[in-house]
Amino acid sequence: MLKAEGQNWIRNLRKKWINFYLISIIAIALAISLVLSVMSVYLLHFSPWLFAVVFPVILGIFLFIKPIWKTTDQDVSRFVNNQYPELEESADLLLQNQDELTILQQLQRNKIENIIPNLSQPKEPVKKLYLGLIILLVGLLISIGISQISLHKSEPLNFHEKASQIPAIKENIPAEISDFSATIIPPAYTQKAERKQKQFTITAETGAKTNWKIETNIGIKKLKIIFNDNEIAPLKALNASHTQWTYSKTVNKSGFYQLDLDGKKSDLYQIEIIPDLPVTIKITQPKQHTTIDIGQPQKINLNVSLTDDYGINDAYISATMASGKGEGVSFTEKKLSFNTGFDNKRNFTLSKQIDLKSLGMKPGDELYFFIKAMDNHGQSSRSDVYFVSIVDTAELMSLAGMTNGVNLVPEYFRSERQIIIDTEKLIKDQSSIPVQTFKTRSNDLGIDQKLLRLRYGQFLGEENENEIGGDHDDHDEHAEHKNEGEKFGDVSTIMDKYAHKHDIAEDATFFEPEMKAQLKAVLTEMWNAELRLRTYKPQEALPYEYKALRLLKDLQQKSRAYVAKTTVKTAALKPEKRLTGELDKITQPVQKMSFEQKEKRTAFLKAALALLESRKTGKKFIEQDQFLLGKTEKYMIGAAADHPSTYLNALSSLRKLSTGNKLIMSDIDLVEQAIQKMINTEAAKPQTQSTGPASALYQNYFNNLNKTGK
Amino acid sequence: MEFKYIAILVSLVLLAFLLYKEVTRTNRARLVWRILANIVAVGCFILLIVPIRYETHVKQNPDEIILLTDGTNTDSVAKLKRKKYAFPSVNLKNTKATTLSDLSYFLKSNPNIRKLNIYGYGLSAAELKNLKGYQITFHPSANPGGIISANWPAKLKTSEPLQVQGTYQNSGSEMVKLLFKGLGKAVDSIAIGAKSNKSFSFKTNPKQTGKAIYELIALQKNDTLAKEPVPVQVSDQTPMKVLILASFPDFEYKFLKNWLYENQYPLAFRSQISKNKFAFDFLNIDSINLNRINTSSLKKFDILIIDEEELAAISPNERSSIALGVNNGMGLLIRVTNTKALTTLGGKFGRFESPVLKGKPLNLIVTEDHHKFNPLPLEQAVFLKSNQTDQPIVADASGKTVVNSSISGYGKVLVSTLSATYNWLLSGQKTDYATYWSKILANAARKRNDIQSVNIIPQFPVIHQKMRIIADLVASDRIPQLKIDSILLSPRQNMELPFQWDALYWPQKSGWTNLEVNQAIEPVYIYKKTDWEALKNQQKLDGTHQFIKNLGTTKAKNKLTDTIVEEEVSLWWFFAGFLLAAGFLWYESRILAVK
Repeated sequence: MLKAEGQNWIRNLRKKWINFYLISIIAIALAISLVLSVMSVYLLHFSPWLFAVVFPVILGIFLFIKPIWKTTDQDVSRFVNNQYPELEESADLLLQNQDELTILQQLQRNKIENIIPNLSQPKEPVKKLYLGLIILLVGLLISIGISQISLHKSEPLNFHEKASQIPAIKENIPAEISDFSATIIPPAYTQKAERKQKQFTITAETGAKTNWKIETNIGIKKLKIIFNDNEIAPLKALNASHTQWTYSKTVNKSGFYQLDLDGKKSDLYQIEIIPDLPVTIKITQPKQHTTIDIGQPQKINLNVSLTDDYGINDAYISATMASGKGEGVSFTEKKLSFNTGFDNKRNFTLSKQIDLKSLGMKPGDELYFFIKAMDNHGQSSRSDVYFVSIVDTAELMSLAGMTNGVNLVPEYFRSERQIIIDTEKLIKDQSSIPVQTFKTRSNDLGIDQKLLRLRYGQFLGEENENEIGGDHDDHDEHAEHKNEGEKFGDVSTIMDKYAHKHDIAEDATFFEPEMKAQLKAVLTEMWNAELRLRTYKPQEALPYEYKALRLLKDLQQKSRAYVAKTTVKTAALKPEKRLTGELDKITQPVQKMSFEQKEKRTAFLKAALALLESRKTGKKFIEQDQFLLGKTEKYMIGAAADHPSTYLNALSSLRKLSTGNKLIMSDIDLVEQAIQKMINTEAAKPQTQSTGPASALYQNYFNNLNKTGK
Repeated sequence: MEFKYIAILVSLVLLAFLLYKEVTRTNRARLVWRILANIVAVGCFILLIVPIRYETHVKQNPDEIILLTDGTNTDSVAKLKRKKYAFPSVNLKNTKATTLSDLSYFLKSNPNIRKLNIYGYGLSAAELKNLKGYQITFHPSANPGGIISANWPAKLKTSEPLQVQGTYQNSGSEMVKLLFKGLGKAVDSIAIGAKSNKSFSFKTNPKQTGKAIYELIALQKNDTLAKEPVPVQVSDQTPMKVLILASFPDFEYKFLKNWLYENQYPLAFRSQISKNKFAFDFLNIDSINLNRINTSSLKKFDILIIDEEELAAISPNERSSIALGVNNGMGLLIRVTNTKALTTLGGKFGRFESPVLKGKPLNLIVTEDHHKFNPLPLEQAVFLKSNQTDQPIVADASGKTVVNSSISGYGKVLVSTLSATYNWLLSGQKTDYATYWSKILANAARKRNDIQSVNIIPQFPVIHQKMRIIADLVASDRIPQLKIDSILLSPRQNMELPFQWDALYWPQKSGWTNLEVNQAIEPVYIYKKTDWEALKNQQKLDGTHQFIKNLGTTKAKNKLTDTIVEEEVSLWWFFAGFLLAAGFLWYESRILAVK
């Protein structure tokens, strides 16, 4: 019994160990997968089912890393030996077969077996369990936090969505109407399902078909619908008792309408149109102007994103290549497709590599392209035109620009060209000459390039060979001043002592700032070329050399002005004959015009404002006022047909005012605001100033003043 | 028999009955106390109904009175033990004072009164006039809270802005929001901090033609403290007549011509083609002979725009008739381009040349109201010097004058060195162009004489209160017909100015009323009694202070005599006595007697 006790103790410990460890691992895995899935669900908007995948995966990974179930009794006994010095490193004796033990071992074993039951349980597995649970708790807290953050963020969004769904205006529905519905069938291109609403205010896509279905509680002889106050359409009665009516119309324009039930008119309801916008095209790559230098791959990567509100039908690249020079220039047009199907998706991110060589472009040619896209409603839109040009090296190497005309900038240009020629020759010879010679020649070329750069630097006023456009930092010459005898009271000498004065090197040259900037760019390219040459990479240096040459060419062209010679011959003037012509036959032109203000709208609206103001003080409208109100209503109907959401409320308020006797301030305010919106801002007009009545007394006073003044 | 005697009689009967009951009670304990309590209770009850008055002697100056005016703090006045007089408008609450309906009448009927102690906001200017020669001590109330001054043009011409300016005095301890509202919408607002005075200036373009009432609303959080009406009248005007004489047609003239034409201004335009040959444009005006400029043809126009070359080219005769026309009120705008003056009229202002800044646009400012124009893309080299007698109208950003003006006789001469304002139109800044030329033309043009002008005193005529209508007329020989609310008034001629007539009126209705002066209708706004109260109170306060300051302090000898003042014993004493006595009786019968 005793013997088994020791073994049992170790086995129990092992079981406990494994169980606790397992629980802890599960807890940790749970925590990690919880945090991960919460993040992906709330922030990246994945499905919550993701958790079912993540958790087993993470658990699997943990178990794979630490296969806890493989823990053997030996492992436990080793641990116990370490943990409890009382066992004197002999816990494993308990696990061995008793018969195989020596006497000494048996003695030891007996000794331990007496000790073991009195030993306290090791704390290690419990610690592991606690650690796991703590991690789980932290994970829970983090995931709750994340879900709270994203809830807070998404709240305003939801709120807006809801707000837009709720009708902005509370509608007044005539009492005779017991039930009604408006069915809006959006046009096919929107791919939207038809929707039914119990609301007269209609928001529909352009070209949507709208069906009204109205049920009245009593029979009505005639039910009409009036659009924009001028288009009257009768509704069809569906049954004999005239209680069910229907009407359908395709709406293309914003506006408003009202119902006419046997002459009784309802409120005004607005129709708002959601227009279909053309595809927006955004080219993210390349830049609007791209130049491909020698050595660069003659390819361009085109990245475009297309967006439309309903769907994109088609998109292609329209490319035009211009080749040749002067009069011999020729254009070829090509349509490049994106090689993807446009199945009316709303968003597209397309990329295409255009191989200029396969288009047949040679150096010196230019490519103009734009992207044209069509949406499913048949509206097309196009992007800006982008330019890609391949630099013509032959052009650069030609002497055409230099042989004729004045050569403002001296012969250094040829040197850059010479360096290019030498570099190309060196590359060609590379295989046939020994490496050392290649390196020496490359280095020599680098030295040449450096010399050239320094000489150009002189144009910029550079004195130091290490920097581009840098300032010099030795100021020895200032020391000389000390030796000179100082004159007492000479302000300039005193000033010189404290001021740091010398010419600003850059300003000492004759170039304009723009030219200087370009010269600096040339120097940078030369720097780069030199670097490559000195590190024995002539192949890499070549593009920089070409670029430097191209920039230099541009510079040279810039510094030239050309004025064509023209010849003009004028008749000689006879001064004595000037201004002596006979003018008696010349009639004096007289123009007489009178400006007729055709539009009396503003004048009417202004008068209406004053009328409303007098209504505010409690005065009732009289007969004559009705004419003015009618006119105002007419203008407001026009305004409301274009902007129903702005003017419709004011229009119904105006109608209420002109018919009703009750004075409602808020209605007047609304109408006044609308009228002021309708009257555009007025520019100032010259106005004569007025003075008091001119009595004879003032006149006399003025005359007397004048007399005394003289 | 009076009520109080009946009450006393009934109470005495009650007392007798009570005493009888007390004496006949079987339990005769504390009989004396009970009888005493009964007597006290009934006695106090009687005195509750019939209060005791007694007369005290107060040393008071017999020729001195206390006058309570609007805004008196009744609590502070209540302590004063003297006879008080108050206006009917004063809210007295629990202070006793004799109401005075007419101060001057009262003073006349009590000629011995020499000294007045005035409490509250003081008296109006009209009332103060009657107090000359009296000795006055003023105990002013705290400054009123609200708009204490305000001003705005009551009549506007179309497209002129309405500017309302004033001061708000916030004596409260919380922030006040002052809102300017009109034509159904809030125009502007300003916040006034606690315990501070702040001046405000609101500007808007009234869009109506006719009458409208704007409002100044003082808000403290959600409470409306005051709502003051700002009545405004906008009317159209006959446009000014413009004559342009050009030595050569240029864009400046062409654009100006078109702009005036489209705004329906009568305009005659003459430009020289050749020697003594002209091209004429008569726009919105009947054609007249303009081959030669003379005084009679100039009389038809309100303003003449001419360039200096043309002014120099016309005959001296024409030039002198232009000068005469200006002296008689016509406006003259001369466009100059050179630094050298060619004519005396054009040479009115010295010119100087300033180095041109290449590529820098010209930023112009109206000197009067510092209105800034959008930059004009031209390089201006010639500027004008300005003297003390000139009034610069437009200057550039650094203050160099571009358009200058001075008075010549009745009229005005303007000189402008600006030659291409049409650039504003080309760059789409129509409002700048319109503002510039409106400013220039309005400044120069002949002033129109009204047939009559009407002045109303006070600034805010109030319903049921006296207002004075003063009418200025052209002719003084005929009595004008003044009619208001269809009541014919009898005007009185001014002694010194025979063309000025005035009449008094007490308006019957608030709101717009029509004042007819010789058939011409002049709308007048009559305010409610509660409108602009703070302003009126502040005016009274200031007026009274000023009056006292001007009065000088000649202190009369204070001669004190006994004056009899009636005082009343507080009813609370009797009530307490009644309560105690009745309480004792109750306690005695319920608790002491039962034991």
